Amino acid sequence: MAAPEVHHLFHHPIADHSFSADRQTLAIARDTQVELYGRVGNAFKLKDELKGHDKLVTSVDIAPNTGRIVTCSQDRNALVWEPSPTGYKPTLVLLRISRAATFVRWSPSEAKFAVGSGDRVIAICYFEEENDWWVSKHLKKPIRSTITSVAWHPNSVLLAAGSTDAHARVFSSFIKGTDQRPEPSPWGERLPFNTVCGEFLNNSAGWVHAVAFSPSGDALAFAAHDSSITVVYPSAPEQPPKAVISINTQLLPFMSLFWNGEAEIIAAGYDCEAFRFQGGEQGWQLAGTLEKAKAGGRPGLGGEDREESALNMFKQMDLKGKVSKDDTQLKTVHQNTVTMLRPFEESGGRVTKFSSSGVDGRVVIWHT
Amino acid sequence: MSIIQQHTQATLSDAWRTINIDALTEDSSVNFDVSTLHPPLPEISEADARAINGQVRQLLRGGDAEGALRGCLEMPVYNGSEAAKETHLHTVIEVLQSIKASEMTPMLQRIFAQQGGSECLDVLMKYLYKGMAATSSSSSSAADGSGRATPARAMTPQATGGFSQVGQRPMASNESTGSAMSVLLSWHEKVVEVAGLGCIGRVMTDFRRV
Repeated sequence: MAAPEVHHLFHHPIADHSFSADRQTLAIARDTQVELYGRVGNAFKLKDELKGHDKLVTSVDIAPNTGRIVTCSQDRNALVWEPSPTGYKPTLVLLRISRAATFVRWSPSEAKFAVGSGDRVIAICYFEEENDWWVSKHLKKPIRSTITSVAWHPNSVLLAAGSTDAHARVFSSFIKGTDQRPEPSPWGERLPFNTVCGEFLNNSAGWVHAVAFSPSGDALAFAAHDSSITVVYPSAPEQPPKAVISINTQLLPFMSLFWNGEAEIIAAGYDCEAFRFQGGEQGWQLAGTLEKAKAGGRPGLGGEDREESALNMFKQMDLKGKVSKDDTQLKTVHQNTVTMLRPFEESGGRVTKFSSSGVDGRVVIWHT
Repeated sequence: MSIIQQHTQATLSDAWRTINIDALTEDSSVNFDVSTLHPPLPEISEADARAINGQVRQLLRGGDAEGALRGCLEMPVYNGSEAAKETHLHTVIEVLQSIKASEMTPMLQRIFAQQGGSECLDVLMKYLYKGMAATSSSSSSAADGSGRATPARAMTPQATGGFSQVGQRPMASNESTGSAMSVLLSWHEKVVEVAGLGCIGRVMTDFRRV
């Protein structure tokens, strides 16, 4: 396994990051603005700043085909940034929410996007040609609290949302005129707007931090604040699911997760490193960390490292009272909570590389 | 794109920030019963809790400490009267106190490896915290009692003789709560070793309180 590619951009939390389709441009949500970094050799250099929000930008997403960037912020607005020869031009979206916007994602069709908010609604936004304006429709029922994350089904109609009311839900966001009628799936056949196709919570019911559909869309995974991930396999519309599998871990809670094929989930969060889960309908288990087991950075010299650490131990005992250098350094690549994971490179239905960003201001590209 | 489009005297102060807008919104979290979000839990009466206590004691007398521990952890009182919860807490602490320190870790590892073992240790952690809260509140109330007595004595010049007397009573109660606390603390350490930090997180997030 090749070493991860680490980009330490600045000493400030990264709320969200997104790569363009050619992976040459990286958008970073930093404070009240979005920074665009361009790849120069092996590094990313600051190229442009998108200023338009006046409160913390909570989420950013680049549409792979159109190149449009959507951002949302605690100032209750979402902006669509249209690429043009003279730079990006912002367009305000009418969200009609009275609390912070927390999370935004383009649908796979790129015709619409979903904005989660602290106002107990999800705004489904689409472009109205006749008014030349991005408008929104609200998914409201039965959300009882802030939406922390949303994820799209491959058909661009079904939307999963995780909420601080401890539920992960699947909604239909069908917009007449924008969407094609979706194929029937285990989630439902007729799907008018705001159909609740599923509502799930796990035993201890912690806040849901992240949701994700499997590549086929026929399974849903969510990570909650009780350090668990839960995988749901629906059976048929209006029927209880075939299987709901909850894996409680010994670790700290996960903030983000994605599917790598149908039988693997990668999740990361407060433990500052990514973990692999493997399984299927019969059951799931934690398969281990993606962080290379390293002690001194040089593989094959394990014995020497151990000797070195024993020496260090006695040295520190000798110099008691003096702070050792390693005290402030985590053994993981990320030095603080990982808040977002995104697939970076895919081939043959498998994610071969993924990127992570976190509170430590690093963006890291990993090999799975 | 600020919320405030025009600054007036009212918007310049921060008073508007303290308005509880949740109370004004019909379907906000303060205006509905949060318990409706969760499926209902079976209710356990005090008599049931006592019955469990009897069974667990029987197991303990038979020398099956692990069975006793599992037994009381599989039947936590989530929904019941205060008395029932209190009874079950005493049952759990009784079992914990009867297990030797050297047996703790292997026993926890065996329970953890079994089906539903992680859930069992989460329940144990809940009772450990509840036990700590109970013992610390009883010791602080004892301190309150002596606290009330001290100022009166402190005012008198010959307080030294009285002090040792005052000191003795709380010391006696501190000893028993102290030993209960040390049992709970050593269990806490062992449970974290086996079930990880996730276990503590789950106790804090879980809506099912013991």
